[in-house]
Amino acid sequence: MTAAITTFHPPLAQPGYRLFDGPLRDVADAHADQIGVVGMPSDWTHSSRLGTRFGPEALRRATTLLQSIRPQGPSIDPDTSRRTVPATDWLVDCGDAEITAQDVDATTEAIAAMTEGLTVAGAIPLALGGDHYNSYPACLGYSRGLAKRAPDARFGYIQIDGHLDFSDRLGAWGSHNHATNARRISELPNVDVSNMVWIGIAGWVDGGDLDLIEKQGGRVFSSSDVHEMGAAEVMHQALAHAMQGCDELYLTIDIDAMDAGYLPGTGSIVHSGVTPRQYYDLLDGLAEAPLGGLDIVEVSPPLDPSERTEFLAAEMLFRILRRFRTRSVTEQ
Amino acid sequence: MPLRSAPLPRMAGHLSFMRAQTKTISDVRPGDLAVLGVPFEDTSAPFAGQSLAPRALRETSVYFGWHANPQFSHPVDIDARQDISTDGLHERLCDLGDVSPGSEDEIHAALRAATRQISRNGACAVILGGSDRLSETVQSALLNCQTAQLGGTPHDARDFHVAPLPNGKGTTCSLGTTAQLAAFSRWRDVSKPLFVRFDLSVFETSLSALCDQPRLGGCDLDTVVQWLELLGQHEVSVIMLTGLNPNRPGMGVVKVGQRLMVTALLAFIYARLGFGIDHPSSQTSEENVLT
Repeated sequence: MTAAITTFHPPLAQPGYRLFDGPLRDVADAHADQIGVVGMPSDWTHSSRLGTRFGPEALRRATTLLQSIRPQGPSIDPDTSRRTVPATDWLVDCGDAEITAQDVDATTEAIAAMTEGLTVAGAIPLALGGDHYNSYPACLGYSRGLAKRAPDARFGYIQIDGHLDFSDRLGAWGSHNHATNARRISELPNVDVSNMVWIGIAGWVDGGDLDLIEKQGGRVFSSSDVHEMGAAEVMHQALAHAMQGCDELYLTIDIDAMDAGYLPGTGSIVHSGVTPRQYYDLLDGLAEAPLGGLDIVEVSPPLDPSERTEFLAAEMLFRILRRFRTRSVTEQ
Repeated sequence: MPLRSAPLPRMAGHLSFMRAQTKTISDVRPGDLAVLGVPFEDTSAPFAGQSLAPRALRETSVYFGWHANPQFSHPVDIDARQDISTDGLHERLCDLGDVSPGSEDEIHAALRAATRQISRNGACAVILGGSDRLSETVQSALLNCQTAQLGGTPHDARDFHVAPLPNGKGTTCSLGTTAQLAAFSRWRDVSKPLFVRFDLSVFETSLSALCDQPRLGGCDLDTVVQWLELLGQHEVSVIMLTGLNPNRPGMGVVKVGQRLMVTALLAFIYARLGFGIDHPSSQTSEENVLT
């Protein structure tokens, strides 16, 4: 299956951007402990404001530009005093999944095939949305791959988001859309709702969905919890809850948990009061977490003429991937 | 009955405020909240575009139209961990549509007449502006009214103006002071109609880029929500929203300002209808009636 995935055929010159300016490789060429990037430029499963189909491209550009303005070569990450490492071996960009407009099943299988192949190889799939529905196929492939690589393994799940996305159905979109992704993930065989945690939920939620989560042992931290308990403490508790009896963590980063005043370029804005600093503190809390797979979604460049949204999201990736892109100063 | 079309995409279906029922102005009843749009701007604004605000506010409000959505069980305020009871909302919230286009004089006259009729019927008008100068027309229609102003430029020393107060960090204001609440209680004369002017400029500018009058050091959302909850417990004759310009240069796709305003306005609507608070007078509108 993996061998059949050839989403990228290297030309003599490589046009466009790759995440962190890393190398382009096929899924079959990824190996253990690498980050394997999968683009999901699809927003046909969003119910209102579109534009996240341009998210993967924007994230690749923003990470590359941010990388380029940071010192290259022997440089030190200012927050950790660790040496930064160019993305020459710890990350491979596998290009975009084949998106079939308005065919959810075909798109789902195309994305899942790539993240499955990466997971089987022991790499960590990093999927770039796209609207938040695409988190489901990304996690679906991870789940399938984990079942092949470690049949008895289970994974915990953390969703940083302004919304629960736990509806069973949503209006004209039915069962597969950006409001149902977490519900579909909860139905996968190697995760349990009691190991699912939501962080940053703001405003109003559907009471039935909230009851269902909490009755099954899931945990929900609101944006008020982030303000009152502190981001670090929230993530500390969230990680402990998600990892009970689990081997790996799947993380989904919906950028809309951040207050729309800072980050307007996303489809479903909230006014949570969550600042960039608090969001980064949340991610820093996962510095040593046993990441098995992750995605970042809802970056919609057309909705933010200032472009700050994609750079805030790129910084989120710098944070969550810090342990991969830095080394101890004494380490070769 | 409400338009049970909330499962529709937000961009589809009949657009009314929160998918509320539509009514003609003569059918407005005592205790109703009657939404009226004034898609009009004059030359007082520094940028063109405020006439687009009523439509933008209605578009955003559809997100909160759960009372008309049979797919949802019930809404919960996740921060307060409390159910939001909206029973009866669809019976008392209605949308009258927009004031018809016309000459400037005709629009002011129509707005004045509509304000008087809604108030005479004992309802509370929720007017979606439109440029700020229209609020002077509304004010003139409410004889001897008192005006409470959130944001915008103070015009009259007799008005109650919610002034931002530094929150200690020097960025946004907080409500928090009993002195402000006491001052409002002393100022309020219940024998007079109450007019609330709600301008987008009450918010700290970094939270919304869609305001023609930037205010550095303005209020955060929580503070404005607290004020509107408080005002909603009074017999308000008219609340008017102004200052939103969805067409700020280069910012036509950014919906942050309208989301801020509608989110805060909901606090007023719920308080006005008596949801979640013990406010026995909220069902009657004696204070609203102009004589």
